Amino acid sequence: MNLIVGVSDMKVTNDIEATLVTYSLGSCIGVAIYDPVARVGGLLHYMLPESSLDQEKARKNPYMFADTGIPALFKAAYKLGAKKQRMKVIVAGGSQVLDQKGFFNIGKRNDIAVRKMFHKNNVIIDYKDVGGTVNRTIKLAINTGETCLKVSGKGEKKI
Amino acid sequence: MSNINSIIKKINRLTPIPQVASKVMSIAQDPKSSMYDLSKVIIYDTAVTANLLKVVNSAFFGLPEKVDSVHQAIVYLGMAQVVDLVLLSASGENLQTAQEGYDLEAGELWKYSVSSALIARELAEKKGVKETHLIFTAALLKDIGKVILNQYVKDSFDKISALVTEQNFTFREAEKEVIGIDHAELGAMVAENWKFSPKMVEIIRHHHRPQETSMSEFESAIVYMADTICMMMGIGVGSDGLAYRFHPEVVESLELTETEFQKMVAGFVEKIEQVEAMINV
Repeated sequence: MNLIVGVSDMKVTNDIEATLVTYSLGSCIGVAIYDPVARVGGLLHYMLPESSLDQEKARKNPYMFADTGIPALFKAAYKLGAKKQRMKVIVAGGSQVLDQKGFFNIGKRNDIAVRKMFHKNNVIIDYKDVGGTVNRTIKLAINTGETCLKVSGKGEKKI
Repeated sequence: MSNINSIIKKINRLTPIPQVASKVMSIAQDPKSSMYDLSKVIIYDTAVTANLLKVVNSAFFGLPEKVDSVHQAIVYLGMAQVVDLVLLSASGENLQTAQEGYDLEAGELWKYSVSSALIARELAEKKGVKETHLIFTAALLKDIGKVILNQYVKDSFDKISALVTEQNFTFREAEKEVIGIDHAELGAMVAENWKFSPKMVEIIRHHHRPQETSMSEFESAIVYMADTICMMMGIGVGSDGLAYRFHPEVVESLELTETEFQKMVAGFVEKIEQVEAMINV
């Protein structure tokens, strides 16, 4: 059963029948986490780097921003018994329009935001596919932890 | 050339846009026209009326009661908004189909088109542009060329993709190089064929390079920006990805600040589900 994670959305589950899916990342970033012992997985699809843009929106939907969405993702997984040291972490998305520079480059800013947070909290990324101009989809099967990355026009691969 | 001619001939295979679209556009441009004139033109097309009422009653508008007449829709939403929604209700036929060449499933190009149109209108209103219907419709129809070019992109995908990944071509430039014509040019020809205004034709032709247009510069810049925002949000992005060029001078001409830009993105993200409900994706 596919559990769809929309734009600015997050889902965490220990249902072994479930596959978490997020489509069409564009400049957004998808963060997938999985604890193989607890068999708990989570997937976040955030759109913007910093919640300081609009605190009210961040309160209503913390998954819109990296700095509020990422902690919420990990906390929700801990609640289901996941442990940070066992966690497999995958990051994908953050594409850019060609020649994009400065503040319009949300893809790059989203990438910097996740790197900063992980560095501060000692989280190691196991697999990363960020940047470029492609459109990505992430799938995470809770039963096995198998993760697939689809790049539009180029097919799907296991990671 | 024969290849290009045979591609252009396929314009006639599209479902033509219903006449009601051009009629409501001219009513919108006539300051003397009344609400009564508008509703009279719309109800004549029963299919478009049915679509319109479905859209008006969707969660996107959150109206307090069910609207079951065009007249009532105008009372609630105003003439300007209803004109846009008629254009939307009349445009879906071609754009709702799957486009395998672009790796877009059924409904994805439509969601992209509607989202671009809504963002473009918001931006036009913010910038005080009067011709919002022109901008809305141009943004809605800008990728109509993809519906025809789809098959050719599918056949030549490897060549197009190689130019993009290895030689810094944009996807549109690669279409032009490999097939001989790109989706924006072809879209402009469709708009001409459907007797849209020269301004509309021009905006569609230049929606990826608005700095090259000789007319409707500001309007083209708005449609371009709306398209860029959609791509960044991953809406309707397929095998072409985000492989289009960013033109900082165009963005400067719109005088958008960083906060304004990000707030538009954040605001639209909140509406995505309602947009999906509105168009039944």
